[in-house]
Amino acid sequence: MSFRRKLLTVFSLTVFVSVAGVAGLVLAVTRHAFEKTENQRTAALVAQFQREFNRRGDDVARRVEGIAASDSVARMATALNGTSADSANYFDLARTMAESHQLDFLELLDWRGTIISSAQWPAKFGYPDNTFDSLTASSEQGAFLKLEELQDSTALGLMAVRTVQMGERPVYVVGGRRLDKSFLSALDLPPDMRTLLYQNRGDRFSPDWLVDPSSTGNASDPTHPAERLAALVDAVRRYNAEMSGIVDWSGNQADQEVFHAIPLRGAGKDHPLLAILLIGNSRRPYVELKRRIRDSALLVGGGGIVLAILLSSWAAGRVTRPVVQLAHAAQDVAAGNWNATVEVQGSDEVAQLAKSFNRMTAELLTQKERLVQTERVAAWRELARRLAHELKNPLFPLQLTVENLVRARTQSPEQFDEVFRESSGTLLAEISNLKGIIGRFSEFSKMPQPQLQPVQVNEILRGVAQLFQAQLQAPGRAAIACNLELDERLEPIAADPELLHRALSNLVLNAMDAMPNGGMLKLRSRRDGANVIIEVCDIGSGLTREECERIFTPYYTSKQHGTGLGLAIVQSVVSDHGGRISVHSEPGKGTRFVIELPKAAVAVGKASFPHGFPNHPQKTDRFSTY
Amino acid sequence: MRLFAWQWLATSSLLFGALAVNAETRPQYGGTLHVAMHAALQSLDPSDPGQADSFARRNLSSLLFDKLVITDEAGRVKPSLAESWQASNGNQRWQFRVRHGVTFHDGTPLSAEIAAASLRYANPSWTMTAENDTVVIDCKTPNPGLLAELSLPRNSIVRRDAGKGVDGTGPFSIVEWQPGKTLKLATEGNYWGGRAFVDSVEISMGRDYRDEMTALQLGRADLIELAPEQSQRISQQGVRVASSAPMELLAIVFSREVGSPEEKLLREALALSVERESIRRVLLQGVGQPAGSLLPTWMSGYGFLFSASADLAKARLLRSQVHSVPTWKMGYDPSDTMSRLLAERIALNAKDAGLSLQPTSSATADMRLVRIPLASFDPWIALGELSAQTSVPPAKTNGGSVEELYAAEQAALATERLIPLFHLPVTYASALRVRDWSVRADGGWDLADAWLEAGTP
Repeated sequence: MSFRRKLLTVFSLTVFVSVAGVAGLVLAVTRHAFEKTENQRTAALVAQFQREFNRRGDDVARRVEGIAASDSVARMATALNGTSADSANYFDLARTMAESHQLDFLELLDWRGTIISSAQWPAKFGYPDNTFDSLTASSEQGAFLKLEELQDSTALGLMAVRTVQMGERPVYVVGGRRLDKSFLSALDLPPDMRTLLYQNRGDRFSPDWLVDPSSTGNASDPTHPAERLAALVDAVRRYNAEMSGIVDWSGNQADQEVFHAIPLRGAGKDHPLLAILLIGNSRRPYVELKRRIRDSALLVGGGGIVLAILLSSWAAGRVTRPVVQLAHAAQDVAAGNWNATVEVQGSDEVAQLAKSFNRMTAELLTQKERLVQTERVAAWRELARRLAHELKNPLFPLQLTVENLVRARTQSPEQFDEVFRESSGTLLAEISNLKGIIGRFSEFSKMPQPQLQPVQVNEILRGVAQLFQAQLQAPGRAAIACNLELDERLEPIAADPELLHRALSNLVLNAMDAMPNGGMLKLRSRRDGANVIIEVCDIGSGLTREECERIFTPYYTSKQHGTGLGLAIVQSVVSDHGGRISVHSEPGKGTRFVIELPKAAVAVGKASFPHGFPNHPQKTDRFSTY
Repeated sequence: MRLFAWQWLATSSLLFGALAVNAETRPQYGGTLHVAMHAALQSLDPSDPGQADSFARRNLSSLLFDKLVITDEAGRVKPSLAESWQASNGNQRWQFRVRHGVTFHDGTPLSAEIAAASLRYANPSWTMTAENDTVVIDCKTPNPGLLAELSLPRNSIVRRDAGKGVDGTGPFSIVEWQPGKTLKLATEGNYWGGRAFVDSVEISMGRDYRDEMTALQLGRADLIELAPEQSQRISQQGVRVASSAPMELLAIVFSREVGSPEEKLLREALALSVERESIRRVLLQGVGQPAGSLLPTWMSGYGFLFSASADLAKARLLRSQVHSVPTWKMGYDPSDTMSRLLAERIALNAKDAGLSLQPTSSATADMRLVRIPLASFDPWIALGELSAQTSVPPAKTNGGSVEELYAAEQAALATERLIPLFHLPVTYASALRVRDWSVRADGGWDLADAWLEAGTP
């Protein structure tokens, strides 16, 4: 990733994280505020419920007291204390008294708890009231909750009990009003809040016991299925404590409601759980606000990121342009263009870096020129040394021959002709030798450029092996075994087959020279990624480290009769194919030459040639091995 | 002179006072008798099979129509439109001589043909002919109870005229008729049995028992029908109350026959679970008699042999012999508060026995709580009519011994098709201005001698 992209990414991430952080913080604060408001509203509603509960309870208690103090009940209580008491005469009394005192429930119980008269279930006369013990304990007290059993259902009632004592046997007046939809509807609810009442009946949650003032009749609201409240109700029933929970009605968060469930307990020793008050608080305002915040954050964040990209792109451009120029210049230098310089703008660190770079390249160029000059001098000296060495050998016989001719002319004129004839032959031979030396130097200086074409490396290797097979097994010298280890899956490469053949031939000759006592010559080929690897191995005397370093230097040789140009030519051929040659050797352990050639060779100084090589240049001349 | 004047004035005043007192106790013609009824009749035809039998229907029929014979409170047969009759061929052939000079309300003279046609309409299976002024009924088998059967309201002599409805020979004729609402009747001055004292009768129908009572107390009704439980309390308030003999059976009637032995056990358990005495004492306020039999003891003489006591232990034992107990629905008359209370109480009793009973006002139910008027003083007629109304296999209706009657009733009860609960009287309350009015033992009104004191209600 470029420095500019990194800079852009950092800027964008910074903006995104900042906006996300702010949005998250705002959301957290908002949620906290909503929860606080919700708790306050719930507490207010609970307090209102309690006030309404107490108010209606007081009203119920007053009405029950009025009934207990009425003449009708007093007469009944008196009569039931008599000897010929017949409660049948008062069977309908509860109904009439309940109607006149506007009570939903009214039962008159005798001293044993037997129902004398019941307004809510008239047919139950003569049956015992199962809650009699708790009722008598609640007598003369305030109102309390009671689950009233009716003919075909149950109802939650706000009840009060009063005792009428007209003799030894008291009569109990148990009256109350329903805690139903009308009660819940009387509560002044804030917006987005509602109350439900669940009558605690049975072992499992049942929608039938849910009192919802907003529902019409018994028809269940399909958008708010009561079963969704089952988990919360069951939890309150299990732990008998206040609980809260979020009820998801439709999968839409805006339809969710937070419900606070408050257990309502009845009178008696165990204070049984009779009902659960459910206070629902819609999450719609919170969810909608949250959505607005999120949308705004996304909008701001998105816009910020785009702006950050634009600004950072502009800023990064300004910051990274000199760096990019430096990088390009460095790449040019690396590619050999040591004249590369960068433009220096300003005086900041980047400008100083650019100045330093320019100074560095200028210094490098200077040193390179010095080095070239030094190398050139050294090469000339080496060439002169080699040339002197090569020329010195034939010159010395020439000198001796000419001196013999002079001596013979002066000392033995009679033998001069014979001496002249012999000396002229020697002179011509040495002159020919000199011409040969000059010719080889001339050919080396005129190394041809490779003519690339599709070449099967294995074919070249097999050709070389076949060419030298006779010499390797020639009589009079120790035999050398040639072993081919070729990768048959190799694909053709772009190369000059003749140059490559000559280069490999030079290596084979070199190996043969290294194994005067015979041995093993291995020619290998294999694939290494995009390159083809050729190895020429021998088990000869090997090379020292110094010899390995200098072995490809022109005119360097470790042999008595070598010119020092054979491996230099091999390196030149390999280099002209865009490849690389290396030598791996230790004294006494043989030598291994490794040639790496690209499949699509790039001839140095020429464009690469595709397969087929149409219009490739004609070969110029050939040269022999050294 | 002044003394004489004073003496004359005093004597005159005494004489006027005596005459006035005498005038109050002597029957007076005129006035309109206002009647409020709980029933809402849709048809006045006494033979209409679509109308359930009721005391209201019987009483209205008696005002509009006559029968060939009638029975008195002792069950004795008396002539009515038939002046005389004669049975022959071992009570298999009956001849009735139709009374002369009787006309229908539209003036049509009564004839044997019209009488025979009327009876043929009510009894399609009978074979009858009209010969001069005689109606001849030929029975397939000897039928000593034919006279009692002819005294049933459905055998009233009716002249049916297409498009004009029904016409009768009774003491009152129809002035206005709104089915289910009101019926206005006018006295027939030429009634063969003698003109009634009142000029007209206005009957309002479908009234709630409480509304009826309010109307009576406000003077808007002279005669009202009372719910059984009201009679004791109303009479304690000084209102004149008259009741019949226990002529009505309150029973649970199942809508279908027993389907399995288990169901039979459950029905027996239900019959044993009902606390009849407790219900009679509290809900019915002491009115009526707990019933274990179809016919009341006063009618059959053996009713006490059928136990009417609750036996919860036995009911639970029977219930325990059944693995699966269905939830029965018991239908009741939604217009009758007492019917609902009775159903609820019976459901409570059934619950104690381990049964599941759900009262309902719906028309479809597994059983219904019904009130069935007994048709006649004749136990065979009563049992036969009752069997016909409750789909119980019919009993022999042509008379027989008490043992045969007992066996027939026992067989009817053994079907478990119905559970007798109470025998109830039919009770009426009348305003004080209604004089010489009474209720017969069979629940019928006796308006022949009734008259109204002066003044409008």
